[in-house]
Amino acid sequence: MISRIGYLLRETGASLQRNITLTVAAIITAAVSLLIFGLTLVIQHGFDNLLAQWEGGVEMIVYVNAGVDDAQRGVIETALTQQEGITIDSWQYCDVTCSLGDADRLFAGDPQTRALLDATNIPTQFKVVPLDATEVDILSGLRDRYLELPNVNSVQLAEEQLDLISRLQGFVSTYTTGLWVALMAAASLLIWNTIRTAMFARRREIEVMKLVGATDWFIRLPFMLEGLIHGVAGGAIASGAMWFINDRWTAGVAEFPVNSGMTALVVVDGYEWRVAAILVAFGALVGTVGSGTAASRFLDV
Amino acid sequence: MIRLVNVTKSYSDEVVALRDASFEVAKGEFVFLVGPSGSGKSTLLRLINRQERPELGEVWVAGRNIVDMPSNRVPMLRRNIGNVFQDYKLLTNKTVFENVAFALEVIGRPRHVIDTQVPTVLELVGLAGKEDRFPHQLSGGEQQRVSIARAFVNRPQILVADEPTGNLDPVTGEGIMRLLDRINTTGTTVVMATHDQRIVDSMRRRVIQLDRGVLVRDQSRGVYS
Repeated sequence: MISRIGYLLRETGASLQRNITLTVAAIITAAVSLLIFGLTLVIQHGFDNLLAQWEGGVEMIVYVNAGVDDAQRGVIETALTQQEGITIDSWQYCDVTCSLGDADRLFAGDPQTRALLDATNIPTQFKVVPLDATEVDILSGLRDRYLELPNVNSVQLAEEQLDLISRLQGFVSTYTTGLWVALMAAASLLIWNTIRTAMFARRREIEVMKLVGATDWFIRLPFMLEGLIHGVAGGAIASGAMWFINDRWTAGVAEFPVNSGMTALVVVDGYEWRVAAILVAFGALVGTVGSGTAASRFLDV
Repeated sequence: MIRLVNVTKSYSDEVVALRDASFEVAKGEFVFLVGPSGSGKSTLLRLINRQERPELGEVWVAGRNIVDMPSNRVPMLRRNIGNVFQDYKLLTNKTVFENVAFALEVIGRPRHVIDTQVPTVLELVGLAGKEDRFPHQLSGGEQQRVSIARAFVNRPQILVADEPTGNLDPVTGEGIMRLLDRINTTGTTVVMATHDQRIVDSMRRRVIQLDRGVLVRDQSRGVYS
Protein backbone atom coordinates (compact mmCIF):
# COMPACT_ATOMS: atom_id res chain seq x y z
CA MET A 1 0.00 0.00 0.00
CA ILE A 2 2.80 2.41 0.92
CA SER A 3 4.60 1.72 -2.35
CA ARG A 4 1.34 2.38 -4.25
CA ILE A 5 0.83 5.70 -2.47
CA GLY A 6 4.47 6.57 -3.12
CA TYR A 7 4.01 5.73 -6.80
CA LEU A 8 0.81 7.79 -6.98
CA LEU A 9 2.43 10.88 -5.46
CA ARG A 10 5.61 10.54 -7.52
CA GLU A 11 3.78 10.16 -10.82
CA THR A 12 1.38 13.00 -10.02
CA GLY A 13 4.25 15.32 -9.10
CA ALA A 14 6.16 14.41 -12.25
CA SER A 15 3.10 15.02 -14.42
CA LEU A 16 2.40 18.39 -12.82
CA GLN A 17 5.99 19.48 -13.49
CA ARG A 18 5.95 18.15 -17.03
CA ASN A 19 2.79 20.15 -17.89
CA ILE A 20 3.69 23.22 -15.88
CA THR A 21 2.30 25.83 -18.30
CA LEU A 22 -0.97 23.99 -18.83
CA THR A 23 -1.17 23.34 -15.10
CA VAL A 24 -0.78 27.04 -14.30
CA ALA A 25 -3.35 27.98 -16.96
CA ALA A 26 -5.87 25.46 -15.60
CA ILE A 27 -5.37 26.64 -12.02
CA ILE A 28 -5.72 30.34 -12.95
CA THR A 29 -8.89 29.71 -14.97
CA ALA A 30 -10.37 27.63 -12.16
CA ALA A 31 -9.40 30.33 -9.64
CA VAL A 32 -10.98 33.15 -11.65
CA SER A 33 -14.22 31.29 -12.24
CA LEU A 34 -14.43 30.15 -8.62
CA LEU A 35 -13.69 33.69 -7.46
CA ILE A 36 -16.64 34.99 -9.48
CA PHE A 37 -18.78 32.18 -8.05
CA GLY A 38 -17.65 33.10 -4.54
CA LEU A 39 -18.27 36.80 -5.08
CA THR A 40 -21.74 35.99 -6.43
CA LEU A 41 -22.54 34.10 -3.23
CA VAL A 42 -21.12 36.85 -1.05
CA ILE A 43 -22.96 39.63 -2.93
CA GLN A 44 -26.20 37.66 -2.72
CA HIS A 45 -25.67 37.29 1.02
CA GLY A 46 -25.06 41.03 1.26
CA PHE A 47 -28.32 41.73 -0.58
CA ASP A 48 -30.08 39.28 1.71
CA ASN A 49 -28.82 41.31 4.67
CA LEU A 50 -30.03 44.49 3.04
CA LEU A 51 -33.46 43.09 2.33
CA ALA A 52 -33.85 40.97 5.46
CA GLN A 53 -36.28 43.37 7.08
CA TRP A 54 -38.58 43.07 4.06
CA GLU A 55 -38.78 39.27 4.08
CA GLY A 56 -42.17 37.53 4.06
CA GLY A 57 -44.03 39.99 1.85
CA VAL A 58 -43.55 42.95 4.20
CA GLU A 59 -44.30 46.13 2.23
CA MET A 60 -44.53 48.69 5.00
CA ILE A 61 -42.66 49.23 8.28
CA VAL A 62 -44.06 51.48 10.97
CA TYR A 63 -41.22 52.62 13.24
CA VAL A 64 -42.27 53.31 16.82
CA ASN A 65 -40.46 55.73 19.11
CA ALA A 66 -38.17 54.10 21.64
CA GLY A 67 -39.45 53.72 25.18
CA VAL A 68 -43.22 53.58 24.47
CA ASP A 69 -45.29 51.54 26.89
CA ASP A 70 -47.80 48.79 26.04
CA ALA A 71 -50.78 51.18 26.09
CA GLN A 72 -49.11 53.63 23.70
CA ARG A 73 -48.16 50.79 21.41
CA GLY A 74 -51.74 49.44 21.65
CA VAL A 75 -53.04 52.52 19.82
CA ILE A 76 -50.99 51.62 16.77
CA GLU A 77 -51.94 47.94 17.05
CA THR A 78 -55.61 48.90 17.09
CA ALA A 79 -55.19 51.01 13.95
CA LEU A 80 -53.50 48.11 12.17
CA THR A 81 -56.07 45.55 13.36
CA GLN A 82 -58.91 47.74 12.02
CA GLN A 83 -57.47 47.38 8.51
CA GLU A 84 -56.96 43.62 8.71
CA GLY A 85 -58.93 41.93 5.94
CA ILE A 86 -59.59 45.31 4.27
CA THR A 87 -56.19 46.54 3.13
CA ILE A 88 -53.83 44.61 5.41
CA ASP A 89 -53.30 40.87 5.25
CA SER A 90 -51.24 40.61 8.45
CA TRP A 91 -48.81 42.48 10.65
CA GLN A 92 -46.12 41.56 13.13
CA TYR A 93 -44.54 43.48 15.95
CA CYS A 94 -40.72 43.46 15.94
CA ASP A 95 -39.72 44.22 19.53
CA VAL A 96 -36.43 45.64 20.84
CA THR A 97 -34.51 42.37 20.50
CA CYS A 98 -35.84 41.82 16.97
CA SER A 99 -35.07 45.40 15.98
CA LEU A 100 -31.53 45.17 17.37
CA GLY A 101 -31.09 42.02 15.23
CA ASP A 102 -32.19 43.96 12.14
CA ALA A 103 -29.75 46.72 13.07
CA ASP A 104 -26.94 44.19 13.31
CA ARG A 105 -27.50 43.32 9.68
CA LEU A 106 -28.29 46.78 8.39
CA PHE A 107 -25.22 48.36 9.96
CA ALA A 108 -22.88 45.39 9.58
CA GLY A 109 -20.52 47.52 7.55
CA ASP A 110 -20.71 50.48 9.89
CA PRO A 111 -19.98 49.34 13.45
CA GLN A 112 -19.65 52.92 14.72
CA THR A 113 -23.25 53.78 13.82
CA ARG A 114 -24.45 50.41 15.11
CA ALA A 115 -22.73 51.12 18.43
CA LEU A 116 -24.96 54.17 18.87
CA LEU A 117 -28.06 51.97 18.97
CA ASP A 118 -29.11 50.07 22.10
CA ALA A 119 -32.28 48.85 23.83
CA THR A 120 -33.02 52.32 25.19
CA ASN A 121 -33.01 54.24 21.94
CA ILE A 122 -33.77 51.85 19.07
CA PRO A 123 -37.16 52.31 17.43
CA THR A 124 -39.24 49.12 17.43
CA GLN A 125 -41.19 48.16 14.29
CA PHE A 126 -44.55 46.95 13.03
CA LYS A 127 -43.96 44.96 9.85
CA VAL A 128 -47.03 45.07 7.66
CA VAL A 129 -48.02 42.67 4.87
CA PRO A 130 -50.71 44.24 2.62
CA LEU A 131 -53.49 42.33 0.89
CA ASP A 132 -52.32 43.64 -2.48
CA ALA A 133 -48.75 44.90 -2.75
CA THR A 134 -49.43 46.40 -6.17
CA GLU A 135 -51.93 48.94 -4.80
CA VAL A 136 -49.33 51.62 -4.22
CA ASP A 137 -51.93 54.36 -3.65
CA ILE A 138 -53.60 52.45 -0.84
CA LEU A 139 -50.22 51.83 0.82
CA SER A 140 -49.33 55.51 0.52
CA GLY A 141 -52.68 56.43 2.09
CA LEU A 142 -52.04 54.04 4.98
CA ARG A 143 -48.61 55.53 5.50
CA ASP A 144 -50.03 59.04 5.72
CA ARG A 145 -52.64 57.90 8.25
CA TYR A 146 -50.15 56.04 10.44
CA LEU A 147 -47.73 58.95 10.41
CA GLU A 148 -50.39 60.95 12.25
CA LEU A 149 -50.66 58.39 15.06
CA PRO A 150 -48.91 59.27 18.34
CA ASN A 151 -45.45 57.77 18.95
CA VAL A 152 -44.98 56.80 15.32
CA ASN A 153 -41.41 57.75 14.44
CA SER A 154 -41.60 57.11 10.71
CA VAL A 155 -43.22 54.87 8.12
CA GLN A 156 -41.21 53.30 5.32
CA LEU A 157 -42.62 51.65 2.21
CA ALA A 158 -40.79 48.80 0.54
CA GLU A 159 -41.16 50.23 -2.94
CA GLU A 160 -38.98 53.17 -1.94
CA GLN A 161 -36.03 50.92 -1.13
CA LEU A 162 -36.90 47.52 -2.42
CA ASP A 163 -37.50 48.07 -6.11
CA LEU A 164 -34.08 49.49 -6.87
CA ILE A 165 -32.25 46.92 -4.75
CA SER A 166 -34.27 44.04 -6.16
CA ARG A 167 -33.49 45.13 -9.68
CA LEU A 168 -29.82 45.50 -8.80
CA GLN A 169 -29.81 42.09 -7.13
CA GLY A 170 -31.45 40.48 -10.16
CA PHE A 171 -28.95 42.12 -12.50
CA VAL A 172 -25.93 41.10 -10.46
CA SER A 173 -27.30 37.61 -9.90
CA THR A 174 -28.06 36.97 -13.57
CA TYR A 175 -24.81 38.24 -15.03
CA THR A 176 -22.41 36.93 -12.41
CA THR A 177 -24.08 33.51 -12.45
CA GLY A 178 -23.85 33.39 -16.23
CA LEU A 179 -20.22 34.45 -16.09
CA TRP A 180 -19.13 31.92 -13.49
CA VAL A 181 -20.98 29.09 -15.19
CA ALA A 182 -19.21 29.92 -18.47
CA LEU A 183 -15.83 30.25 -16.77
CA MET A 184 -16.35 27.09 -14.75
CA ALA A 185 -17.08 25.21 -17.95
CA ALA A 186 -13.89 26.69 -19.42
CA ALA A 187 -11.90 25.65 -16.35
CA SER A 188 -13.34 22.16 -16.47
CA LEU A 189 -12.51 21.85 -20.17
CA LEU A 190 -9.03 23.18 -19.58
CA ILE A 191 -8.43 20.61 -16.83
CA TRP A 192 -9.87 17.95 -19.14
CA ASN A 193 -7.50 19.02 -21.90
CA THR A 194 -4.52 19.19 -19.54
CA ILE A 195 -5.13 15.62 -18.44
CA ARG A 196 -5.61 14.55 -22.04
CA THR A 197 -2.26 16.12 -22.95
CA ALA A 198 -0.61 14.51 -19.93
CA MET A 199 -1.98 11.13 -20.94
CA PHE A 200 -0.85 11.59 -24.51
CA ALA A 201 2.64 12.51 -23.28
CA ARG A 202 2.69 9.28 -21.27
CA ARG A 203 0.95 7.05 -23.80
CA ARG A 204 3.92 4.70 -24.01
CA GLU A 205 3.98 4.27 -20.25
CA ILE A 206 0.23 3.69 -20.20
CA GLU A 207 0.55 1.08 -22.93
CA VAL A 208 3.26 -0.73 -20.96
CA MET A 209 1.24 -0.45 -17.75
CA LYS A 210 -1.77 -2.04 -19.39
CA LEU A 211 0.29 -4.85 -20.89
CA VAL A 212 1.94 -5.77 -17.60
CA GLY A 213 -1.43 -5.92 -15.85
CA ALA A 214 -1.99 -2.57 -14.14
CA THR A 215 -5.67 -1.98 -13.43
CA ASP A 216 -7.46 0.92 -15.11
CA TRP A 217 -7.95 2.58 -11.72
CA PHE A 218 -4.26 2.34 -10.95
CA ILE A 219 -3.52 4.10 -14.25
CA ARG A 220 -6.26 6.70 -13.80
CA LEU A 221 -5.57 7.70 -10.21
CA PRO A 222 -2.44 9.87 -10.75
CA PHE A 223 -4.29 11.80 -13.46
CA MET A 224 -7.35 12.23 -11.28
CA LEU A 225 -5.15 13.40 -8.41
CA GLU A 226 -3.56 15.89 -10.80
CA GLY A 227 -7.00 17.28 -11.71
CA LEU A 228 -7.96 17.35 -8.05
CA ILE A 229 -4.85 19.42 -7.30
CA HIS A 230 -5.75 21.84 -10.13
CA GLY A 231 -9.24 22.31 -8.67
CA VAL A 232 -8.20 22.59 -5.03
CA ALA A 233 -5.39 25.03 -5.86
CA GLY A 234 -7.84 27.11 -7.92
CA GLY A 235 -10.35 27.02 -5.05
CA ALA A 236 -7.72 28.02 -2.49
CA ILE A 237 -6.52 30.95 -4.61
CA ALA A 238 -10.13 32.03 -5.24
CA SER A 239 -10.86 31.85 -1.49
CA GLY A 240 -7.87 34.02 -0.67
CA ALA A 241 -8.80 36.57 -3.35
CA MET A 242 -12.42 36.59 -2.21
CA TRP A 243 -11.39 37.15 1.41
CA PHE A 244 -9.13 40.02 0.35
CA ILE A 245 -11.82 41.69 -1.80
CA ASN A 246 -14.45 41.28 0.93
CA ASP A 247 -12.07 42.72 3.50
CA ARG A 248 -11.29 45.76 1.32
CA TRP A 249 -15.00 46.26 0.49
CA THR A 250 -16.02 46.03 4.16
CA ALA A 251 -13.39 48.59 5.10
CA GLY A 252 -14.56 50.88 2.28
CA VAL A 253 -18.28 50.61 3.07
CA ALA A 254 -17.78 52.37 6.42
CA GLU A 255 -17.03 55.51 4.38
CA PHE A 256 -20.46 55.44 2.71
CA PRO A 257 -23.25 57.69 4.11
CA VAL A 258 -25.29 55.93 6.82
CA ASN A 259 -28.55 56.28 4.89
CA SER A 260 -27.04 54.94 1.66
CA GLY A 261 -28.10 51.38 2.51
CA MET A 262 -24.65 50.17 1.57
CA THR A 263 -23.77 49.55 5.20
CA ALA A 264 -25.82 46.36 5.03
CA LEU A 265 -24.15 45.19 1.86
CA VAL A 266 -21.26 43.45 3.59
CA VAL A 267 -20.53 39.97 4.84
CA VAL A 268 -18.93 39.90 8.28
CA ASP A 269 -20.87 37.10 9.96
CA GLY A 270 -18.49 34.24 9.08
CA TYR A 271 -20.41 33.42 5.91
CA GLU A 272 -17.26 34.19 3.90
CA TRP A 273 -15.51 31.19 5.50
CA ARG A 274 -18.38 28.94 4.48
CA VAL A 275 -18.06 30.29 0.93
CA ALA A 276 -14.29 29.65 1.02
CA ALA A 277 -14.94 26.02 1.98
CA ILE A 278 -17.54 25.76 -0.79
CA LEU A 279 -15.05 27.13 -3.34
CA VAL A 280 -12.35 24.62 -2.39
CA ALA A 281 -14.87 21.75 -2.38
CA PHE A 282 -16.37 22.86 -5.69
CA GLY A 283 -12.89 23.23 -7.21
CA ALA A 284 -12.03 19.71 -6.02
CA LEU A 285 -15.25 18.38 -7.54
CA VAL A 286 -14.75 20.09 -10.91
CA GLY A 287 -11.08 19.04 -11.03
CA THR A 288 -11.83 15.44 -10.19
CA VAL A 289 -14.77 15.14 -12.57
CA GLY A 290 -12.87 16.85 -15.42
CA SER A 291 -9.75 14.76 -14.99
CA GLY A 292 -11.66 11.56 -14.25
CA THR A 293 -13.67 11.94 -17.44
CA ALA A 294 -10.53 12.57 -19.48
CA ALA A 295 -8.65 9.72 -17.81
CA SER A 296 -11.46 7.31 -18.64
CA ARG A 297 -12.02 8.65 -22.12
CA PHE A 298 -8.35 8.56 -23.18
CA LEU A 299 -7.17 5.43 -21.38
CA ASP A 300 -6.88 3.62 -24.71
CA VAL A 301 -4.08 5.82 -25.97
CA MET B 1 -2.11 -23.50 -21.66
CA ILE B 2 -3.42 -21.75 -24.82
CA ARG B 3 -6.26 -23.02 -27.00
CA LEU B 4 -7.89 -21.33 -29.96
CA VAL B 5 -11.13 -22.79 -31.24
CA ASN B 6 -12.39 -21.70 -34.69
CA VAL B 7 -11.21 -18.12 -34.16
CA THR B 8 -12.05 -15.50 -36.75
CA LYS B 9 -10.89 -11.91 -36.39
CA SER B 10 -11.40 -9.16 -38.96
CA TYR B 11 -10.68 -5.43 -38.91
CA SER B 12 -13.14 -4.65 -41.68
CA ASP B 13 -15.16 -6.47 -44.32
CA GLU B 14 -12.08 -6.60 -46.55
CA VAL B 15 -9.39 -7.24 -43.93
CA VAL B 16 -9.73 -10.65 -42.27
CA ALA B 17 -6.71 -11.11 -40.00
CA LEU B 18 -7.54 -14.65 -38.84
CA ARG B 19 -9.94 -17.11 -40.38
CA ASP B 20 -11.30 -20.08 -38.42
CA ALA B 21 -7.99 -20.73 -36.66
CA SER B 22 -7.76 -23.60 -34.18
CA PHE B 23 -4.74 -24.97 -32.31
CA GLU B 24 -3.56 -25.75 -28.83
CA VAL B 25 -0.29 -24.96 -27.06
CA ALA B 26 0.67 -27.10 -24.07
CA LYS B 27 2.26 -25.76 -20.91
CA GLY B 28 6.02 -25.30 -21.33
CA GLU B 29 5.97 -25.47 -25.14
CA PHE B 30 8.02 -23.20 -27.42
CA VAL B 31 6.06 -22.27 -30.54
CA PHE B 32 7.11 -20.23 -33.55
CA LEU B 33 4.43 -18.35 -35.50
CA VAL B 34 5.66 -17.84 -39.04
CA GLY B 35 4.21 -16.34 -42.17
CA PRO B 36 4.52 -13.25 -44.34
CA SER B 37 3.63 -9.76 -43.17
CA GLY B 38 -0.14 -9.41 -42.76
CA SER B 39 -0.65 -13.14 -42.30
CA GLY B 40 -2.17 -12.66 -38.82
CA LYS B 41 0.75 -13.44 -36.49
CA SER B 42 0.58 -10.23 -34.47
CA THR B 43 -3.21 -10.40 -34.32
CA LEU B 44 -2.94 -13.87 -32.89
CA LEU B 45 -0.58 -12.66 -30.16
CA ARG B 46 -2.90 -9.73 -29.43
CA LEU B 47 -5.80 -12.15 -29.05
CA ILE B 48 -3.85 -14.15 -26.48
CA ASN B 49 -3.32 -11.17 -24.19
CA ARG B 50 -6.82 -9.80 -24.87
CA GLN B 51 -5.70 -6.66 -26.69
CA GLU B 52 -8.14 -7.85 -29.36
CA ARG B 53 -11.32 -9.90 -29.28
CA PRO B 54 -12.40 -12.23 -32.09
CA GLU B 55 -15.74 -12.02 -33.89
CA LEU B 56 -16.10 -15.78 -33.72
CA GLY B 57 -14.55 -18.60 -31.75
CA GLU B 58 -13.00 -19.12 -28.36
CA VAL B 59 -9.61 -18.16 -26.95
CA TRP B 60 -8.66 -20.18 -23.88
CA VAL B 61 -5.70 -19.07 -21.76
CA ALA B 62 -4.73 -20.92 -18.58
CA GLY B 63 -8.04 -22.74 -18.51
CA ARG B 64 -10.32 -19.75 -19.08
CA ASN B 65 -12.11 -18.53 -22.18
CA ILE B 66 -10.96 -14.91 -22.28
CA VAL B 67 -13.22 -13.72 -25.11
CA ASP B 68 -16.03 -12.70 -22.80
CA MET B 69 -13.84 -12.04 -19.78
CA PRO B 70 -15.01 -8.84 -17.99
CA SER B 71 -12.65 -5.88 -18.51
CA ASN B 72 -11.82 -5.67 -14.82
CA ARG B 73 -10.41 -9.21 -14.92
CA VAL B 74 -8.11 -8.56 -17.90
CA PRO B 75 -5.26 -7.02 -15.81
CA MET B 76 -5.09 -10.25 -13.76
CA LEU B 77 -4.84 -12.26 -16.99
CA ARG B 78 -2.04 -10.04 -18.28
CA ARG B 79 -0.01 -10.50 -15.12
CA ASN B 80 0.43 -14.09 -16.29
CA ILE B 81 1.55 -13.11 -19.79
CA GLY B 82 4.87 -11.45 -20.51
CA ASN B 83 5.16 -9.35 -23.69
CA VAL B 84 8.27 -8.74 -25.78
CA PHE B 85 8.18 -6.45 -28.81
CA GLN B 86 10.32 -5.77 -31.84
CA ASP B 87 10.70 -2.11 -30.81
CA TYR B 88 11.31 -3.01 -27.12
CA LYS B 89 8.79 -0.42 -25.82
CA LEU B 90 11.15 0.73 -23.09
CA LEU B 91 10.51 3.94 -21.17
CA THR B 92 13.28 6.26 -22.21
CA ASN B 93 13.19 8.39 -19.06
CA LYS B 94 13.73 5.41 -16.78
CA THR B 95 16.89 3.44 -16.10
CA VAL B 96 17.26 -0.27 -16.77
CA PHE B 97 16.37 -1.03 -13.16
CA GLU B 98 13.39 1.33 -13.21
CA ASN B 99 12.07 -0.09 -16.48
CA VAL B 100 12.02 -3.59 -15.05
CA ALA B 101 10.83 -2.46 -11.62
CA PHE B 102 7.99 -0.55 -13.30
CA ALA B 103 6.31 -3.83 -14.28
CA LEU B 104 6.21 -4.88 -10.63
CA GLU B 105 5.44 -1.43 -9.27
CA VAL B 106 2.27 -0.94 -11.31
CA ILE B 107 0.81 -4.23 -10.13
CA GLY B 108 1.41 -3.24 -6.52
CA ARG B 109 4.38 -5.41 -5.57
CA PRO B 110 6.04 -4.15 -2.35
CA ARG B 111 9.40 -2.44 -2.51
CA HIS B 112 11.35 -5.27 -0.89
CA VAL B 113 10.06 -7.71 -3.51
CA ILE B 114 11.07 -5.31 -6.29
CA ASP B 115 14.53 -4.84 -4.77
CA THR B 116 14.99 -8.62 -4.69
CA GLN B 117 13.47 -9.70 -7.99
CA VAL B 118 14.79 -7.02 -10.33
CA PRO B 119 18.53 -7.69 -9.74
CA THR B 120 17.87 -11.44 -10.05
CA VAL B 121 16.18 -11.11 -13.44
CA LEU B 122 18.79 -8.61 -14.67
CA GLU B 123 21.44 -11.18 -13.75
CA LEU B 124 19.48 -13.80 -15.71
CA VAL B 125 19.37 -11.69 -18.87
CA GLY B 126 23.02 -10.69 -18.55
CA LEU B 127 22.59 -7.06 -17.60
CA ALA B 128 24.04 -7.12 -14.10
CA GLY B 129 26.05 -3.95 -13.57
CA LYS B 130 24.00 -1.94 -16.09
CA GLU B 131 21.09 -1.19 -13.78
CA ASP B 132 21.64 2.56 -13.80
CA ARG B 133 21.94 3.01 -17.56
CA PHE B 134 19.22 4.56 -19.64
CA PRO B 135 17.90 2.83 -22.79
CA HIS B 136 19.77 5.20 -25.12
CA GLN B 137 23.03 4.12 -23.46
CA LEU B 138 22.42 0.48 -24.45
CA SER B 139 22.82 -1.47 -27.68
CA GLY B 140 19.76 -2.87 -29.44
CA GLY B 141 20.42 -6.34 -28.06
CA GLU B 142 20.77 -4.99 -24.54
CA GLN B 143 17.54 -3.03 -24.90
CA GLN B 144 15.77 -6.21 -25.97
CA ARG B 145 17.22 -7.97 -22.93
CA VAL B 146 15.73 -5.25 -20.72
CA SER B 147 12.40 -5.80 -22.48
CA ILE B 148 12.65 -9.55 -21.82
CA ALA B 149 13.63 -8.91 -18.20
CA ARG B 150 10.55 -6.70 -17.80
CA ALA B 151 8.34 -9.37 -19.38
CA PHE B 152 9.76 -12.15 -17.20
CA VAL B 153 10.28 -10.38 -13.86
CA ASN B 154 6.79 -11.33 -12.70
CA ARG B 155 7.45 -14.98 -13.62
CA PRO B 156 4.53 -15.23 -16.08
CA GLN B 157 3.17 -18.59 -17.23
CA ILE B 158 3.23 -17.42 -20.84
CA LEU B 159 5.64 -15.19 -22.76
CA VAL B 160 4.55 -13.82 -26.14
CA ALA B 161 7.22 -12.25 -28.34
CA ASP B 162 6.42 -10.33 -31.51
CA GLU B 163 9.48 -10.32 -33.79
CA PRO B 164 11.92 -9.93 -30.88
CA THR B 165 14.95 -10.28 -33.17
CA GLY B 166 13.53 -8.16 -36.00
CA ASN B 167 15.72 -5.13 -35.25
CA LEU B 168 18.85 -7.06 -34.31
CA ASP B 169 21.86 -8.40 -36.19
CA PRO B 170 22.11 -12.22 -36.47
CA VAL B 171 24.64 -12.66 -33.67
CA THR B 172 22.69 -10.51 -31.22
CA GLY B 173 19.48 -12.23 -32.33
CA GLU B 174 21.00 -15.60 -31.46
CA GLY B 175 21.81 -14.31 -27.98
CA ILE B 176 18.20 -13.22 -27.54
CA MET B 177 16.99 -16.64 -28.70
CA ARG B 178 19.27 -18.38 -26.21
CA LEU B 179 17.75 -16.21 -23.52
CA LEU B 180 14.17 -17.02 -24.58
CA ASP B 181 15.12 -20.72 -24.73
CA ARG B 182 16.48 -20.47 -21.21
CA ILE B 183 13.27 -18.84 -20.01
CA ASN B 184 11.32 -21.63 -21.71
CA THR B 185 13.30 -24.25 -19.77
CA THR B 186 11.96 -22.73 -16.52
CA GLY B 187 8.49 -23.92 -17.60
CA THR B 188 7.28 -20.73 -19.20
CA THR B 189 5.30 -21.26 -22.40
CA VAL B 190 6.81 -19.17 -25.22
CA VAL B 191 4.90 -18.10 -28.34
CA MET B 192 7.05 -16.14 -30.75
CA ALA B 193 6.16 -14.54 -34.06
CA THR B 194 9.11 -14.26 -36.40
CA HIS B 195 10.32 -13.81 -39.96
CA ASP B 196 13.78 -15.13 -39.15
CA GLN B 197 14.20 -18.36 -41.09
CA ARG B 198 17.66 -19.02 -39.72
CA ILE B 199 16.48 -18.97 -36.11
CA VAL B 200 13.45 -21.18 -36.77
CA ASP B 201 15.49 -23.68 -38.74
CA SER B 202 18.24 -23.86 -36.15
CA MET B 203 16.00 -24.28 -33.09
CA ARG B 204 13.68 -26.93 -34.58
CA ARG B 205 10.69 -26.22 -32.37
CA ARG B 206 7.01 -26.41 -33.12
CA VAL B 207 6.06 -24.15 -36.06
CA ILE B 208 2.59 -22.76 -36.79
CA GLN B 209 2.41 -21.16 -40.21
CA LEU B 210 -0.19 -18.60 -41.17
CA ASP B 211 -1.03 -17.34 -44.63
CA ARG B 212 -3.55 -14.52 -45.09
CA GLY B 213 -5.19 -15.38 -41.79
CA VAL B 214 -5.43 -19.10 -42.42
CA LEU B 215 -3.46 -21.65 -40.40
CA VAL B 216 -1.73 -23.65 -43.15
CA ARG B 217 0.80 -25.70 -41.18
CA ASP B 218 1.26 -26.90 -37.62
CA GLN B 219 4.45 -28.94 -37.37
CA SER B 220 6.37 -30.12 -34.33
CA ARG B 221 10.16 -29.68 -34.60
CA GLY B 222 9.50 -27.83 -37.82
CA VAL B 223 11.42 -25.49 -40.09
CA TYR B 224 10.50 -22.09 -41.48
CA SER B 225 8.99 -23.27 -44.74
